[in-house]
Amino acid sequence: MDGCQSGVPTYEGDLHVVAAAHHIVKALGATKNLSDDLRKILIDLDSHLSMITSNIDSKGGRGLVDVEERLDQAERKIMRWETDPMMIWDSGPKEASDYLEAVDETGKLVDGLRGLSVHENRKQKEILHRAMNILQMAMSRLEEELIHILVRHGQQFEPKHMYSRSIRKDIVYDESFVSVEDEPIKETSSRNYSNDESGECIVDLVHADVIPDIKSIAKVMFTSNYGPEFCEAFISVQKEALEQYFSFLGTENLSIEDVLKMEWTCLSSKMNKWTWSMKIIVRVYLASEKQLCDQVLGGLGSVSSYCFLEISKATILCLLNFGEAVAMGPHRPEKLLRLLDMYETLACLLRDIDTLFSEEAGSFIQLHFHELLERLGESAIAAFEAFRVAISSNGSLYPFAGGGVHPLNKYVMNYIRMFPEYCNTLNLLLKNQHPGVADQVTEPDYGLDASLLTSCPMAYHLRSITSCLESNLHKKSQLYKDEALQHIFLMNNIHYLVQKVKGSELRLFFGDEWIRKHNAMFQQHAMNYERATWSSVVSFLKDDNPGSSSMSKSTFKERCKGFSVAFEEVYKTQTSWSIPDPELREDLRISTSLKVVLAYRTFLGRNLAYTDDKCVKHTVEHVENSLLDLFEGSSRSLRNSRRW
Amino acid sequence: MPATDYQASFLGRISIRRNQVIAMDGNHEQELQDLELFSKHVSERFAELLSSPDDVPFDALLSISWLRKLLDFFLCCEAEFKGILMMGNDPSQISKPPLDRLIPEFLDRSVKALDVCNAVTNGLESVRHYQKLAEIVVSALEQKPIGDGQSRRAKKALTSLISAMNVDDKECSAAKATERSWSFSRRGVSSKDRVPEHFRSVSNQVAKNWSAAKQIQAMTNNLVPPRGAEGSGLASPVYTMSVIMVFVMWALVAAIPCQERNGLSAIHFPAPKQLNWAQSIIGLHEKIGEEWKKKEKKGTAGLLDEMQKMEKLGNILMDFTDSFQFHGDITDQKAEEAAAHAAELAETCRRMEEGLLPLQMQIREVFHRIVKTRTELLNALDQVGKSSPPLL
Repeated sequence: MDGCQSGVPTYEGDLHVVAAAHHIVKALGATKNLSDDLRKILIDLDSHLSMITSNIDSKGGRGLVDVEERLDQAERKIMRWETDPMMIWDSGPKEASDYLEAVDETGKLVDGLRGLSVHENRKQKEILHRAMNILQMAMSRLEEELIHILVRHGQQFEPKHMYSRSIRKDIVYDESFVSVEDEPIKETSSRNYSNDESGECIVDLVHADVIPDIKSIAKVMFTSNYGPEFCEAFISVQKEALEQYFSFLGTENLSIEDVLKMEWTCLSSKMNKWTWSMKIIVRVYLASEKQLCDQVLGGLGSVSSYCFLEISKATILCLLNFGEAVAMGPHRPEKLLRLLDMYETLACLLRDIDTLFSEEAGSFIQLHFHELLERLGESAIAAFEAFRVAISSNGSLYPFAGGGVHPLNKYVMNYIRMFPEYCNTLNLLLKNQHPGVADQVTEPDYGLDASLLTSCPMAYHLRSITSCLESNLHKKSQLYKDEALQHIFLMNNIHYLVQKVKGSELRLFFGDEWIRKHNAMFQQHAMNYERATWSSVVSFLKDDNPGSSSMSKSTFKERCKGFSVAFEEVYKTQTSWSIPDPELREDLRISTSLKVVLAYRTFLGRNLAYTDDKCVKHTVEHVENSLLDLFEGSSRSLRNSRRW
Repeated sequence: MPATDYQASFLGRISIRRNQVIAMDGNHEQELQDLELFSKHVSERFAELLSSPDDVPFDALLSISWLRKLLDFFLCCEAEFKGILMMGNDPSQISKPPLDRLIPEFLDRSVKALDVCNAVTNGLESVRHYQKLAEIVVSALEQKPIGDGQSRRAKKALTSLISAMNVDDKECSAAKATERSWSFSRRGVSSKDRVPEHFRSVSNQVAKNWSAAKQIQAMTNNLVPPRGAEGSGLASPVYTMSVIMVFVMWALVAAIPCQERNGLSAIHFPAPKQLNWAQSIIGLHEKIGEEWKKKEKKGTAGLLDEMQKMEKLGNILMDFTDSFQFHGDITDQKAEEAAAHAAELAETCRRMEEGLLPLQMQIREVFHRIVKTRTELLNALDQVGKSSPPLL
């Protein structure tokens, strides 16, 4: 095959081939029923072959004349385009294939002439130089054509179709830990992109129709040893396209210093954007880029992976750098969920990265990736610890007005309600983490039927967090001087805790036993409240001598007055207290009502004789109705109340 | 040990006794020895770097192998430094004056150094790009006999190479590192499809408006040698390490194309000559500073020895290809000269091929090390903060 490919006839072999061809043509020409066209072709061919034979025969010229002729032809085809303002591949497939053919021919001639260089003579050297010059021109042109095709047929794709982005989480937890004030905005949150990410989303970065064109340019350029030029051009265009797409995603380069100094809200949205961009860049863009490289450069050994690496390296390192900067920053509790997002993103992209950069040259990207994953994991653990510490050390100087649900409690419970979504990751990260000795939880005995979820590391840590929270709330309750209000505060807060657990996936991790225990806890506080507030009030209504029928009028008067004063006092204070949960409020009113109203009714009933007296300031109905005003969070006085 | 050194350390001990009576115990002797050893090693290492012969190409000042040695030494000094600072018997020292001020300043410098590391890594990508272009030049000129075709091929690659180097230099940034001669296509056909001209390659940037020179200038903020009694305590290794860090970053930026280097030569850090360990660093700083000033007049992409060679050879070969095209042919002597230059360029490429990747890895290691020390120092500060009783 060598002789064939060189394109320059070697004396002996070629004489044989030409002679054989001549023979066949003559034999064919002898057949009778030929069309005129075909006959004409055969005659042309016959004369052509005769010419070749005479050329080869002529004084050792070894076909140089023919070579020159072929070169002339190729040159004409190639030079024609040097002055043409049109791009070849835009002019049509025929033009393109003609051009490629001419280039191919020139390449073969160059190879052939080089092969002969041992017997070089002046003429031959001249032709070789001319051929190489033509080849250089053609290669230059092909490079231009390549760039033109890549740019012109580069495809844009909208990232929106790829992954819908969870913006909601952005809003919910952009608050920093210190600013825990109101109830965070939304209850439900699902990371809606986490499910649709399994599908492969490869797009055509360059229109599929032109892939064969690019391939043919690659082939001829590599055959002519212009591979480096091809790579140079290909990488430049594709790299720039990726960078353009990168900035189209709205991701900008940030120095580590910038990231470390960034405000939390800003950082949070950048972290969110990073998570999103990372997925699109790796799963969609790079996967597609890899495919393009393989399609175009597949048969050329490591060239494809080399080009892919050069195209993608800068962008991927830029993304990784942001991750490093984030992992380096202070481990604040509010960063936890975002860090987990980033961690999970990397973790789920690991396989893709390992495949994309499987070659030796790209192994440092793999390494970066794995390192960053580890560091983000460490950061997440540190942020988790910081969260726990922040809960324990959140101090207040003044009691929380009204005894309602403390903002810390709201923040913590709403925050940890997101944890089950990160269950697997948290379990993995927390496996070897033990909550500090001081925070040891007295674990409820789950017995044999404890589900797996209640005994996973995350469950353990969750309970340790709520236990920190509970002890802090106890501390905060001590700030109230009024014992009854301490109980209202604890009742409210523990009730809130239980509700949050029961109303979310958290219940699976806390378990029924925990819920039962905490239900009992807030009920106990409710009872303690009643005792603390009402025992003394109701004691006025007690019958000291159950045996006798009624008490003296003066005693009655005294008792009545005592009750009114005490009741009014309670009314005045406790209308300003707050039980935010309507059901809990209702329950407590009912049980209070049962106790107080019943006692009052009995008291009045037993002393009917005196009830018309002015000393009975409040009717039973009045008492019953005014109990409804308690715990509404706005202070009232019975005398000024609209009910009176 | 010379008598003066002994005296100095003896006086040092006395001043420590005076100032840190509480912390005084037997381990202090050890600490002082460590400090002395540290300065000694620093001064030895940098003296070695300073004495690198200029004429031996392999180890020349600011060559790839020289930079690798520099980074090696940086890592060694850093490890020793950390040992002195962290292994000390009294971790609470770092939260007491003057370290309570010096350590945060040091950490701030570390963060800036990290960004410089990234900028330099990006710059090395540009250098690798030059290498690829130079390799095309070499492969074109290696063919014999050299004809018009190869000469044109070489010229094309040389044009890209020289303009890429100039772009990096003029912009003083790696932002336009990608070779872009093709974007001004002679046909203009593709220009309507081309990305808009104002688009700048972002991935090679550290950040918008980031400047390596300013960054290094900022690293020298508050960098003053410890005075009086401080000079014998832990303040002195913190200062020494800071100077080393600033110097290493400065040298890297001077050698390798980096985003925004204007004003690099104006940076000077106050390292008093009377400090033994600082003398070689000052010497190196002056030497490289001179080079940089020459560069500012002449225009080179960076002081990296291999790159300067590449630029010089590139210009010579460019002249060669020009004359080739002008005359149509060349004398054998010229051809031989060109072949020799091409061979030299090939050798430079080979050195880059061998050295750039390890250099990049080493910068990565430096990066990691700085991060690690920073984390450990922060943790230590955190611990001390927790264990010490609150001020109020």
